[in-house]
This record gives sequence, C-alpha cells and structure tokens, in this order.
Amino acid sequence: MTAATANTDSLSWYEASARQRIDALVDPGSFVEFIGPEQREMSPHLAIFDLPEQFDDGIVIGRGRLDSSPVFVAAQEGRFMGGAFGEVHGAKLTGLLRAARTLRQDVLILFDTGGVRLQEANAGELAIAEIMRAIVEARRAGVNVIGVIGGRAGCYGGGSLIAGTCSRLIVSEQGRISVSGPEVIETNKGIEEFDSRDRALVWRTMGGKHRYLIGGADAFVDDEAQAVRQAAIDALEVTRGYGVANLEAEQSRLERRLQRFGAARDAVDVWQALGIDKPTDIPALPTDAFLAAANNRENADDAR
Amino acid sequence: MSDWGMQKAALGERLAAGQRHANGKVVPIPSLPAFLKSVIRSGDRVCLEGDNQKQADILASSLANLDPAEISDLHMVQSGIVLPSHLDIFEKGIARRLDFSYSGPQSARIARMLFGGKIELGAVHTYLELFARYFIDLTPNVALIAAVSADKDGNLYTGPNTEDTPTVVEATSYKNGLVVAQVTEIVDKVPRVDIPGDLVHFVVEAGRPFYVEPLFTRDPAAITETQILTAMLAIKGIYAPYGVRRLNHGIGFNTAAIELLLPTYGEKLGLKGKVCTHFALNPHPTLIPAIEAGWVEQIHSFGSEVGMEDYVAARPDVFFTGPDGSLRSNRAFCQTAGLYACDMFIGSTLQIDLEGHSSTVTTSRIAGFGGAPNMGSDPRGRRHPSEPWLKAGAEAAPGSDAALRRGRKLVVQIGETFGERNAPLFVERLDALELASALKLDLAPVMVYSDDVTHIVTEEGIANLLMCRDKDEREQAIRGVAGYTDIGRARDPKLVEKLRARGVIRRPEDLGIDPLDADRRLLAARSIKDLMLASGGLYRPPSRFRNW
Repeated sequence: MTAATANTDSLSWYEASARQRIDALVDPGSFVEFIGPEQREMSPHLAIFDLPEQFDDGIVIGRGRLDSSPVFVAAQEGRFMGGAFGEVHGAKLTGLLRAARTLRQDVLILFDTGGVRLQEANAGELAIAEIMRAIVEARRAGVNVIGVIGGRAGCYGGGSLIAGTCSRLIVSEQGRISVSGPEVIETNKGIEEFDSRDRALVWRTMGGKHRYLIGGADAFVDDEAQAVRQAAIDALEVTRGYGVANLEAEQSRLERRLQRFGAARDAVDVWQALGIDKPTDIPALPTDAFLAAANNRENADDAR
Repeated sequence: MSDWGMQKAALGERLAAGQRHANGKVVPIPSLPAFLKSVIRSGDRVCLEGDNQKQADILASSLANLDPAEISDLHMVQSGIVLPSHLDIFEKGIARRLDFSYSGPQSARIARMLFGGKIELGAVHTYLELFARYFIDLTPNVALIAAVSADKDGNLYTGPNTEDTPTVVEATSYKNGLVVAQVTEIVDKVPRVDIPGDLVHFVVEAGRPFYVEPLFTRDPAAITETQILTAMLAIKGIYAPYGVRRLNHGIGFNTAAIELLLPTYGEKLGLKGKVCTHFALNPHPTLIPAIEAGWVEQIHSFGSEVGMEDYVAARPDVFFTGPDGSLRSNRAFCQTAGLYACDMFIGSTLQIDLEGHSSTVTTSRIAGFGGAPNMGSDPRGRRHPSEPWLKAGAEAAPGSDAALRRGRKLVVQIGETFGERNAPLFVERLDALELASALKLDLAPVMVYSDDVTHIVTEEGIANLLMCRDKDEREQAIRGVAGYTDIGRARDPKLVEKLRARGVIRRPEDLGIDPLDADRRLLAARSIKDLMLASGGLYRPPSRFRNW
C-alpha cells in the first residue's frame, strides 16, 4: 500500500495550519506578514470570558508572490476558536482588502471558519459587513479576490457570506460551504430535517463536491497544497470587474437553479436532475472521475 | 426420578406455554408480548443479550413492555446495560436485581437509579467474570439472545457478531433454561450453524437486524500530535525493547495512533515482524494500514466492527472466519486469549492515583468494566514462557532464581497528562472512592489495580513501575511523568532525576525521540477515507464517520 508513504510527499490542505497553508501556497520565501504575532494585536473581548487568546487573533495576513505575481494573502486558523471572526480578526482582513483596492493587488482568502465569534458577536457581525463591502469595492476597482475553502472548520456563517462576494472560489472535497451549520439546522428544524451526526449527509449537502456541482464554487481540487496553488494561479487569470451585469446574470442563474432543483429532498436528487449517470457514486469518486462526471454541472458565475 | 427433574419439568411447562403463541419454534412478532409473558416468571434470572457492541434490541423493548403487575422481581444478569430499555425494565419495576459488566451510554442514568434505589446491585464484573458466574451461581432461567438468521429448527447464524451468544446459550440451555432468539429473518438453510438448533427453543423474526454499536471505530482525523508522541514513546520505549508480539489494544485514540504509526514509524525502527504480530482485538479500522503492510499475522476478535465485514472476509489468513467466509467472533474465548496468551495490554484511562490504581469512573457515572480489567491484569495461572513475560518478570525481581520466577504481563496505561476538558490524568484520590462510599459498595470500581500496572506512558515520558523498589520510588516515578498536573508539580526533582538515571523514567530525549517529529503526517491514515482507500474499498464506514 502507498497510504503509508503518500502522506509525507504532500501537504493535506485540510490538515495544515494557516501558516503551513500560506507557506505552501505562495512562492518560497516570498511571504511577509502584516501585524504579525510579535505585535500581539489580540482580541479585547476574550479575556472577559476567561478564554485563551492568540497573538495573531487566529488570522495571518500579508503579502507574497504567486507564480511571481504580487498578491495579498489572508489565512484563517481553524484550530483557534473554529476560525471565527472577532473584532481584531475581522479588522485585519478589512484592512488588507482596503489596501488591495488602493494598491490594485489581488487577494487570496484562505477560509477556515465557523462564522462569527459568539463572545464578540456585535464586533464580528460588523466585521463581516465591512469585509463584504471592502471586497465589492476592491473588485469594482479591478482587483480579483479568490477564496479557498478546504479547512477543518469549513466556511460557515458570515464566512460563507464573504465567500459569496469573492470573484472565484476554489474548493476541495473536504471543504464545506453553508450559512447555517449542521448542528444549527438540527437544533432549529429537528433531527428529521437534518441529522448533524450523519456526516455523509453533511458532506453531500454542504461539501465541496455538491457546491461545485450546483455552481457554488468555481474550481474543485484535491486536498493537496500544490493542487490548490495551481488552481489559485489559474483563478487569478480570469476576467476582472464587477457590476450590475454580473449581479443580474447571477440573479437569473439562481432563479433557474431554484426552478430546477427546488423540489429535491436530497443532494442525490439534484445530481440525478443534473443528468449524472450514477449519482449515488459521486461521494466515492476520486477527483479525476468526479470532474469527468461533473461535466454538466451548473455554471458558477463571478458572483454567487 | 421426579425429585431430580424439577428444573426439566419447569422448562417443560414454559415450553408448553410458549408453544401456544408459536408455529413450531417460530414466534410471530405480533405474538411476542403474549409469548414473553407466558414463558417468563416473576423472580426469574434473565440474561438479555447485549454488550458494548450487539444488542437483542427487539427482545429488550418487549421485555420492558411487560406489565409489572404480572411479571416482577426479575434478576437481570447481562453483559451490558446499554439501551434505554435496559433501564426501563428497572424503572417500571419489572426487574429489581442487577449483575452486569458494562454500561457505557447509560452510565449516568444507572448511577441515578442506583442512588434512587430502583436497582439492587449485585456486582459490576468484567465480561469473563460474569460469564464464569453464569456457570456457577448466576445461571439464567431465560436467555433472550440475538442472531442474524435462523432456520425453522432453530439453528442460528450469528454472523460476524457472534460475541457472547455461545456462552449465554451454553450456560442457559444445558442447565434447563429457556433460550429465545431474535433473528433478522427465517431462512431455509443458515449460512453456517453458530448455535445448534436443539439448544434454541424459540425464534422471533424481527424483520430487521439487531443493533450494533460501532464502538471500535476511531477517526484518525481526531488524533492529536500529543497522542502521536505518546504512541512513539510506547513503540520505541516498550514494544521494541520487550519485543511484544502478542497483545491487546484498548479503544482510545492513543492506541489508535500506535496502530497507525506501525507502517510508518515502526517500519523506520525496523520493527516489522518483531512486534504486533498477534492480537486479541476487534477488527479496528485503524489497524487496516498495518495489516495491509504485512505487519499482522493473526487476530482473534471479541466481536466484529460495523463496516469491517467485507474487509475481514477478504483477509481470512489474518482473521478467524467460518466456512461461509464471514468473521467468527467469540467474546469469552477472546477474553481468555487476552488474559493468558497475550504479553501486553495497553489502554487509556481517565484517572491514575499515586499508587498507580487507575479508573474510568467519575463520581456521577458508572460505566462498568467491560473487558479491560481482565486484559489489564497479570494472570497468576500462566505457565508458558515468552520473551516479554520473562523480561518483565526479571525487571520486577532481579535477584530471584530465574527458574522459579514468575514472568509478568505488561500492563501499560497510556494518556496525556491533561485529558478531555483539561481534566488531569493524575489525581491524589480516585473519584471511584467517592462513588463507592456514596453507594456503599464494598469495592471501589478500579479498572486496573496498581499491582497489575507495569508502565505509565504520557507525553512527558515512560514510568517503568516494575523497576521501582518501594512505595516512595513508585510515587515519584508516577509524579515524574505527570507533567504540569498538581501531582506532577509536587514531585521530588532529585529523586525523579535519580529514577531517570536508572532508566525507571525515560524521557523522549532519553529514547532519541524529538517531540517535534510527532506530526500528523506520520499517521499511515489521517482520515476515515484514508482507511477506506487503504482497504481497497472493502471497509465501508457507517455514514456517521464518512466525511465525503
């Protein structure tokens, strides 16, 4: 078996820390961090709750080069408070995006988040709104904002709203995108509606394959850092700009999607309606076979 | 001689009463309540089959639906108190007295009911101990068991999850007790005969499989780097020097990490074929990479594991399988194998005190023992030598005559100094003692007694208790690996350093292990999907473990 050795040759995006992801993504040695941990710009709220803080408040921001082109990068650390947005965490990303607009530099956001940090909810919600505005303004100025989703915490809550404003989204099978998380749905709607412990259900409803198939993400990659890097390089080459035309196209696409799949009870029904040959096989397919089966997927536009 | 045949006569009456609700041996599901009422008598000793894995769940809920005005004072003698219905039987007053072994998910409720006086507790046993008592003083009058299929003669196929069934049937049926089996379906011919039909009096066609808990599935994604470090210490500091080939692993994440390090770290240390060749172990999914890499020669199992059926059937050189191709498990035999034919038990625990007693009891929960105290004890009746057993015996009593010296089984407790919710692993006083005094128990529920434990492994190092010569050394050896817990911080640093110089305590650096090498990339599989892929698609994990 190769399982024993395969792991040492590649970096699993899902497994990696925020800093490992940045190191593997940008050109070697090119990353320079802004407001790094040595500046100890920490959450002003967590201590009130007797919760541990982190010197970078769970997000790493900075600049680097991707295939020699200068880019800004932000990476959330899903292992610190589930990558949740707090006041400082959010402000670092907002600042990065505003700088991107001013300097006309593309941005990569490596999402790994459960949404807003409950202990600083007001500041976190405000941060989400500010970040979305900053992304739209940056994109209006011709900057591309690429989101990568494949971390342990997924991309939930406010994080998924931010993802919806990005130019392009890259997702892996392990990545999950959803506004409400599985436990939240189960708590509010009952276990009959959604069994959050049924992980196969969670993945086929929110996971990377399904999101890619219904146009919720633009590129599907293996859970491997080099695959993400190549997809990011490709994503930066797409058309720039953002306006009413994009939004109108997206609106009609979403209406069409609702018409086509609104009655589906399960993701497998959606895959069937997409004309996929053996829809129940989708979760088990390796990447190549999946991409071939996904030929008839719903289009993703430059807005979601 | 009617005087000597009273039990036979009583059984005859039950059979006749039951017959009125059955077609031959087959009881239709709608008749089950009336049938049970007719064959069970108040005051009966009843074995309701169920352990930490399989459950006779249909029979359990029917039993709980009996009317306590008609049937009461049952004495339940069963491996597991696991389903809510197991305790409903007591809540409703159908049963009063209880002798059991394991109570995992019901551990909090069972404690409440013991405090409330709803249950009169006989004792908490290990599996093997309870099985033994089935043959001496806790023989069931009625056994309610579970199987996969039956033919009309009552021959039973138990499938991969045979587990306790042969033992329960042996004790009940040969001592004039009544045996009732729930089966998924009645077939013309069973795939193999696990229980001969003349020992089985009635079968109930449940129409669906009995419940099985996937208790032995550990998701590699949840293994921490600290656990990987403890696993590296165990492999290099215990498995390698003792040459442990025959062993049992507990179900925690530390031992799952060991299993996943064998094909990577173990391979690098050149240990393949020298350690971990024979197991008394359920088919742990985390052992797949080691099996595939050719590490494991043979495994005997207590039960099966959900999703592992096809994989096991495809590896008959390693597992015990029947002529039908599927796994044959047997809890009693495997417990015996773990006791007498294994040189090591290694498992996680919740609390260890300064003497080395360890317990998984917390004040509000009675989780029972299952098989761990049996695995984790030194069998005084053992007589065959083996390298690890002799070496451990020599370390414990170096001055004694080798030919008259008992060997020692290696009993290893492994864990992080701070466990879940940052609870310290090391304590001054076990919670089990509070529980025992609150419930007025004669014995505190101790999982592994201090005179059985030989090694304690934490991320700070290994304490070899075999080499401690007095109580003081033992206490300092334990404190010496207790990290930043209160127990660890109260160590005598000089004595601890002396113990380290003697090799009683060994730190990662003493073993040439760099803690920074304890990286998840060292795991041969880092997700359930990796395990599925390593099995060539034969392992089919339950939906709740699949993140794809």
